[in-house]
Amino acid sequence: MIRTRDSRMRRLAVPLAAVAAIVSLAGCAGGADTAATPNTDIDQDVVFALKEDIVCVDPQQTSVTTALIVGRQLTDSLLDQNPDTGEIVPWLAESWDVSDDLTAYTFTLREDVTFSDGTPLTSQTVAANFDAVAGLGGAASLASGYLSGYAGTEITSDTEFTVNFSAPNVQFQQGATTMSLGIVSEATAAATAEERCQSIVGTGPFVLESYVPNDSVEIVAREGYGWASELREHDGDPHLSSVSFPIIAEASVRTGGLESGEYDIIQDLPYVDEARFTGDAFHLYAKPNPGVPNSFIVNTTRGVLGDEAVRQAISKSLDREQINVITGSVSGAAPTSVLTSSTPGYADLGDTLAFDPEGAAELLEDSGWTRDGDGIYEKDGQPLTVTVTAFYAQDVLEAAQIQLADAGIDLRIKMVSTGDFFGAIASGDYDMLGAGLTRTDPDALRTLLSTSSVARWAIVDDAELEGLLQEQAQTSDVEARQELVAEIQQLVAERAYVMPTLETVQLHASRAGVEGVTFDSAARVHLYDAMVVAD
Amino acid sequence: MRGQRVDAAASSSTARSVARFLLPKIAQCVFVVWATYTVAFLLIHALPGDPVLAALAVKGGDATTTDPEALEALRARYGMDGPVWQQYIVNFLALFRGDLGVSIATGQPVADMIGRAFPHTAAVAGFALLVGFVGALLFTVWAYIARPAWVRNAVTQIPPLGIAIPAFLSGLVLITVFSFGLGWFPASGTSGFVSIVLPGITLALPTGAIFFQVFSAAVFDAGSSPFVFTANAKGLAQRTVVVRHVLRNALLPSITIIGLQIGYLAGGTAVVETVFSRDGIGRLTVDAVLARDINVVMGVVVVVAVVYAVVTLVVDGLYGVIDPRTRTRLTGGKAVKA
Repeated sequence: MIRTRDSRMRRLAVPLAAVAAIVSLAGCAGGADTAATPNTDIDQDVVFALKEDIVCVDPQQTSVTTALIVGRQLTDSLLDQNPDTGEIVPWLAESWDVSDDLTAYTFTLREDVTFSDGTPLTSQTVAANFDAVAGLGGAASLASGYLSGYAGTEITSDTEFTVNFSAPNVQFQQGATTMSLGIVSEATAAATAEERCQSIVGTGPFVLESYVPNDSVEIVAREGYGWASELREHDGDPHLSSVSFPIIAEASVRTGGLESGEYDIIQDLPYVDEARFTGDAFHLYAKPNPGVPNSFIVNTTRGVLGDEAVRQAISKSLDREQINVITGSVSGAAPTSVLTSSTPGYADLGDTLAFDPEGAAELLEDSGWTRDGDGIYEKDGQPLTVTVTAFYAQDVLEAAQIQLADAGIDLRIKMVSTGDFFGAIASGDYDMLGAGLTRTDPDALRTLLSTSSVARWAIVDDAELEGLLQEQAQTSDVEARQELVAEIQQLVAERAYVMPTLETVQLHASRAGVEGVTFDSAARVHLYDAMVVAD
Repeated sequence: MRGQRVDAAASSSTARSVARFLLPKIAQCVFVVWATYTVAFLLIHALPGDPVLAALAVKGGDATTTDPEALEALRARYGMDGPVWQQYIVNFLALFRGDLGVSIATGQPVADMIGRAFPHTAAVAGFALLVGFVGALLFTVWAYIARPAWVRNAVTQIPPLGIAIPAFLSGLVLITVFSFGLGWFPASGTSGFVSIVLPGITLALPTGAIFFQVFSAAVFDAGSSPFVFTANAKGLAQRTVVVRHVLRNALLPSITIIGLQIGYLAGGTAVVETVFSRDGIGRLTVDAVLARDINVVMGVVVVVAVVYAVVTLVVDGLYGVIDPRTRTRLTGGKAVKA
């Protein structure tokens, strides 16, 4: 399980790796690498160090990135999405049809697909999957969110079925491309939530060999795999014969192990270590999570944040470029909208979100706030103080705190545990939340902002926004929806209901001898095309 | 029992006196476990926040549901509905069946999780205890026989570094040198003896340092005592004096310190298990506390309390074997009659 390479071999391998790196740099730029082939003289086994225990293997239940990195390799989805264009393409379903009112989705399955336990993929299996997700409810919050309003699956034939919803569901098509709605075998779907967390059977290019909690996950290649989506670079079996995922909680051990060759790929390279791995001996993989970037998400019913001028002033006082330089990834960029640049439907609002300290001061002074010298603004004896509740990215909040203090705004940071963060959401007890929301569809904004959303974070009462959010959720025409989504982003940024601070980039690294690691539209890793080209 | 020649009366009187010696200690042991359970239960339930929500967030990430109905259903499923006193009694009685409940974060039985992690921690802790003990003994002897005085002073200054350097740092240094540099030992995992060595040594440093403090104090004390002076005056070999007189006298306080050391190791493993990415009780506890997975926290507390209580019991028992004065009391004055 632990591989320690002979250092002499490694020295010999350096020139080889350098050549490979040049080849693959070209590949990185183009996003596709068709020239590279696996080196058949080398074992196609890689060690991929994860940063935390996956807790649950089942991608339908968990929505933690680490777990999904494993889950994505084990399960396929009905559809796939091109991360560059947002275009949705067939995968397990060879064709599909959406009703105009977005309440019925009809799919036709490929006929040759089997699960790793030998059972075939049928309409019955998919129906059992969706019924099971609906039954899991709160234990599978992301997947059941994609299926909100689920009214049952109608089976027409072994390969044809229709998924019905009681109300328009715009996010389902996108959700069907994610591993959250990845398809598991009928036996897995029938198992209890706990059993599924330990072991699942999917149709994916890899099969779960073992999962030892807090220690490691082992997966091996599936023989006879032949239903990769057209977005992958090759057909048939995966190049790698096995992947082991040791769970390495300590970041400096992950980076040290990558340098010494103990690990081939590591998850979550700390931004501060990025510069050490930019040379030819390593590949970096960086992608912002789609959805809402790390942001301040406001509660307009409490304190000074009910005042739009205050919210806008806070937004204008944030120098997002500087926050990105201080706390972000070298490969990342400052947020330029309330959706990340990797989200389908993203619209560039760089002007609205520009750093404008004079504008902020003017707004505050016009609405009656006064400031003595370098102090904090005051109005009717009340200081301009806002508290942000968060459970991660304290460095981002501290950078913002310094910038806001310069602008005369007192930002208090309240770091809490994950549970207390969601406890605050449940009780509405916060001024602002500091967090991001990962979703592959612009409907993320409705999830966050709509008064009727169960996962509502921002507390706003804005009829115009609510109307737009509901309208985009019921619009099946792509162009028309895109216009609505752009309008929503503009409105949310202008009225400062969501103030983005940083596009959180997922940063992984591998040694140069490993190639073909790609991201899917949800910024999770695909290892199907990955290969070892040099030792 | 073949070949036993002790007559029945004597053996039953010995058994009675052993029982008289041990029974109060066993009662004390049970009390410690109960008291620990109760205090931990009260503390955990006094904390603000919702444990079900916290544990759910481990799996749900930013998609964690805050829907009150869904939360209520989950609460019922993990036996966390109903009044607190009822949870206290039901869960405490369940302990006697070996039932530690179900983890909220993973859905696995807590007893299984602890059963899985415990041997890994015990292996490292045991190794650390052994290495620390032997290392401290060697240093003590070295310090005792070292001449001239400045060498002795220098030697006695080395072991305290074991406490001064945090386990976190020494662990990383060991990994850098022996895993990534020389490739002798794995940097992570729980497979086989080789994976125990580095974390074991990391923990042995502070453990050994404490042992050294106790040993050296006792040894130098004994070294300046009249019976060692007499032994030296009789012209006994230095080795004989050290082994037979000096070390033997230093053994008793070190037995006591082992009990405390095991308590320290229970806490110390959390850091080492994180640095070395090992599955174990310490890491399990850290994860459970972060996730507010109270069923796991309670399970760990009870198991550690039991281990601690049993170790104390064994140490007390060992005292009876080693110290002749205690032995006399134990056998109810038989020694006097004989």
